Amino acid sequence: MTNKIINRLICFNILLMVFFICFIISVRIGAVDIPLEEILKIIFLGESTDNQIILMDIRLPRVMIAAVLGAGLSAVGGVMQGIFKNPLVDSYTLGMSSGAALGAVISIVTGVGVFGYATTGAFAFLGAISTLFFVYYLSKTKNKVSINSLLLSGVAVSYFISSLISFIMLLFSNKVEHIVFWTMGSLSSATWQKFIFSSCLIVPGVLILNIFARELNIMSLGEESAHYIGVDVERLKYILLTVCSIIVGAVVSTGGTIGFLGLVAPHIVRLIWGADYRRLIPYSAILGASLLMLSDAIGRVIIQPAEIPVGVMTSIMGGPFFVFLLRKQKSKGA
Amino acid sequence: MEYEVRVEGLDFSYENNYILKNINLSIKEGSFVSIVGPNGSGKSTFLKNLSRYLKPQKGIVMLGNDDITKLSQKEISKRLSVVPQNILVEFDYKVKDIVLMGRHPYVKRLKGETPEDIKIAERAMKYTNIMEFSNRNFNELSGGEKQRVILAQALAQQPKVLLMDEPISHLDLQYQVEILDLVKKMTLEEGLTSIAVLHDLNMASAYSDYIVMLKGGEVFCKGEPAEVLTIENIARVFNTNVSISINPATGKTYIYPISTIPKKKRDFAVHIICGGGTGVKLIQELAAAGFTISTGVLNIGDSDWTISKEYELDVAEETPFMAISQEAYDKNLELALSANVLVLLPVYFSKANIRNLKMLIEDRLKDKTIYIVENGSFEQRDYTNGEALSIYNKLIDRPNVIQIKEEQLKEILIKADENHDK
Repeated sequence: MTNKIINRLICFNILLMVFFICFIISVRIGAVDIPLEEILKIIFLGESTDNQIILMDIRLPRVMIAAVLGAGLSAVGGVMQGIFKNPLVDSYTLGMSSGAALGAVISIVTGVGVFGYATTGAFAFLGAISTLFFVYYLSKTKNKVSINSLLLSGVAVSYFISSLISFIMLLFSNKVEHIVFWTMGSLSSATWQKFIFSSCLIVPGVLILNIFARELNIMSLGEESAHYIGVDVERLKYILLTVCSIIVGAVVSTGGTIGFLGLVAPHIVRLIWGADYRRLIPYSAILGASLLMLSDAIGRVIIQPAEIPVGVMTSIMGGPFFVFLLRKQKSKGA
Repeated sequence: MEYEVRVEGLDFSYENNYILKNINLSIKEGSFVSIVGPNGSGKSTFLKNLSRYLKPQKGIVMLGNDDITKLSQKEISKRLSVVPQNILVEFDYKVKDIVLMGRHPYVKRLKGETPEDIKIAERAMKYTNIMEFSNRNFNELSGGEKQRVILAQALAQQPKVLLMDEPISHLDLQYQVEILDLVKKMTLEEGLTSIAVLHDLNMASAYSDYIVMLKGGEVFCKGEPAEVLTIENIARVFNTNVSISINPATGKTYIYPISTIPKKKRDFAVHIICGGGTGVKLIQELAAAGFTISTGVLNIGDSDWTISKEYELDVAEETPFMAISQEAYDKNLELALSANVLVLLPVYFSKANIRNLKMLIEDRLKDKTIYIVENGSFEQRDYTNGEALSIYNKLIDRPNVIQIKEEQLKEILIKADENHDK
C-alpha cells in the first residue's frame, strides 16, 4: 500500500517537474531569448533590465495563458470522453468551438463594440455557451438527454455553424485574416487582463469537474448502471456540460480554437496512469498546460521572425506523439 | 417487515402503448423469484419500474415500508442493486475499482472511501471469489468473470433486494450455474431478496421459490415453479408445446421443448400397453413424429398415465392401485381394435394388470400386428406365479407378433405407416 503511494507521488512529481521545465523553456525562448538569470532577477529582485517589458508584459502573460488554457482544454476533453463513453470525443465535440468562432466572426464583421476591446472575446464566449445549450435542448426528450442524440446534434450543429462561418467569410473577404485567427487558435495577443479573465473561469471550473471524478468513473459503466449505483445521471450531465461549456468558452474567447490537445492529453494520462478520473482530471490539466506552453514556445521560434499559431503546433506535435503512444500500448498488449 | 417488495396496480406505457398492465405482486423477504415470459412481455420493463429507472404511470412500488417514489436515488441504491445482462466499460478500470464503485451511495462527496468501504468491497469480492484477479483490468476478463465482478459490485451496495435482468444469458453453462448458485446462496444465508428475469425455464424451475409468468404486460400466473410451469401455461404464454417431467435428482419440474417441425400428422394409430414409466420415452418420440397414440390400461397417477394426459392421448384408465375392471378392459380393447398396430412394452405383470396381457390374445385382435419390446427375460417381470408367462408364450407364438428392440420401433412404425398409405 505504501509502495503504491510512493509510486504515485513519484509519478506526480515527475509530472510537476515536466510542467516547470516547460514553463521555464517557454518563458526563456521567443523572438528575444531571455537568459534564466535575468528572468529570476526581474521577477524576484524587481530589477529593470532591457528585457523587463518584454518579459512582464508580453512573455509572462502569454505563457501563463497557455498554461491555463491547456489545463482547461485537457480537463474538459477527459470529462467529455467520460460523459460520452467515447474515446474519440474531445473538448469541442458539441460544437462549442464553432459556436465561439461564429460569435467572434459576428463581432468582427459587424464591428460592434459593446464591451470595448474585449468585445470579440465576449462574443466568442457567448457563442460557445449558447451553442451548447442549443444542442442540449435540441436533444432533450422527456426530461432525458440521450448521449447519442447529444453527440449527433452536436456534430450536425457544428457543421452547420462552420458553413455559416465560411459563408460570412465569403461576404466579408476583407476581414478574412482576422477571422482565420479564431479558427486557428493563437496566443499572440496575450495580456494580463485576458489571463485574469480566463483563469477566473477556468481554474474554478476544473476544480468543480474534479469534485465529480467519482461519478465520472461510475459513468464508464453506462448511464443505466450508474443510475442503479445512485448517480443522478441527468443532473450530472447537466452540471458537467455547463461547466465544460464555460471553460471552453473562456478558452476559445482567449486563444481561439486550439485543437487536438483536449483529445490527446487525457489519453496520454490514461495510457500512463489509468482511467481513474480522480487522477485523470488533475493530471490531464497539468499535462495539457505543459504541452500547450511547449507548443506555443516552439511555434514562436521555429520559423522566426514569423510565428506558427499555437493551434497548428498542437496538432502537428500532438498527432504523431499520440499515434506513437497508441502503437506502443498495442504492442505491449499483444 | 413482512414483505420486502410489494407492487400494487402498476401500469406503465411508452406514449400510449401499454407495456405493463395492472401488475400486483408481493415478494417475501429472502426469496428467489424469477420473472419469465416471452420476448416483449414486459419483463425488463417491469424490473426497470422496480428500480425506478422508469416511472410507472399508475400504481406503487413499496420497498420495505417505503414508497419508492419518496426515496432519493442514493437511498434506493442502498437497498436495491441491479445486475444487468452484460456491461461494457469503455475505459480500463481495475476489478477492485469497479467493485468499489458499488460503495458510491455511502461515500460522502469530497471525503472518499473509508477503510470500512474498502473492507465491505473486499468481502464482496471474496464472496464472489474474484479476489485472485482484483488487480486485473475488467476488460481483460471472460464473460463469467465479468458477471461475477458486477455481482460483487452489486453486493458492495449492501442491498436488501437484488434485481437481475437475464444475468446468465451470455454465459456458458458452467458460469450460469456458478452465478445462480451464488445468488441462491445469498438468498439463503443473508436473507437477500432476488428477483431475476430468466430466459431458461429450467433454470427458473431449479432455482426459484416463486415464479411470475408475464404475458403481454400482465401477470398470467404466479406461484411455485410446479404450479406455474405447466404444459398448458407454457403453451398459452410461449406458444410452444413442451413435455414435462420431474428431474429425479432435484424433484423440480423439467421442461423439454417439442420440436414442431414434423408437424405432419399421421393417421396411423398406435396403441401402447405400458405402465410404470416404460412408455414415457416412446410416447414422446412417437408424438413428435406425428403418430396417433393411445394407451391402456393405466392406473391414474402412473407416470405413463401422466404423460398420456399431458399429450392428450386416449387412455383406458383405472383407479389407482385397483385391478383392471371390466369397464377399463373394454375401453382398452376398443382402443386396440381401432389402432393400426399394437405395442407391448416391458411391463411388470401382477394380478392387477394381467388383463392387459390377456387382452392381447383375444381372438378379435388376431389380425393386428403386435410389436413386443423385450429387454431381458419375461420371467423376471412376472409376479403372477407363471400365469402371465403362459399367456406371453401363447402370444409370441402368434403369426402377427414381432419381437423388436425399442430403439428400432419408431423407424419401423414410420415404414409401416408409409406402406399403409400406399
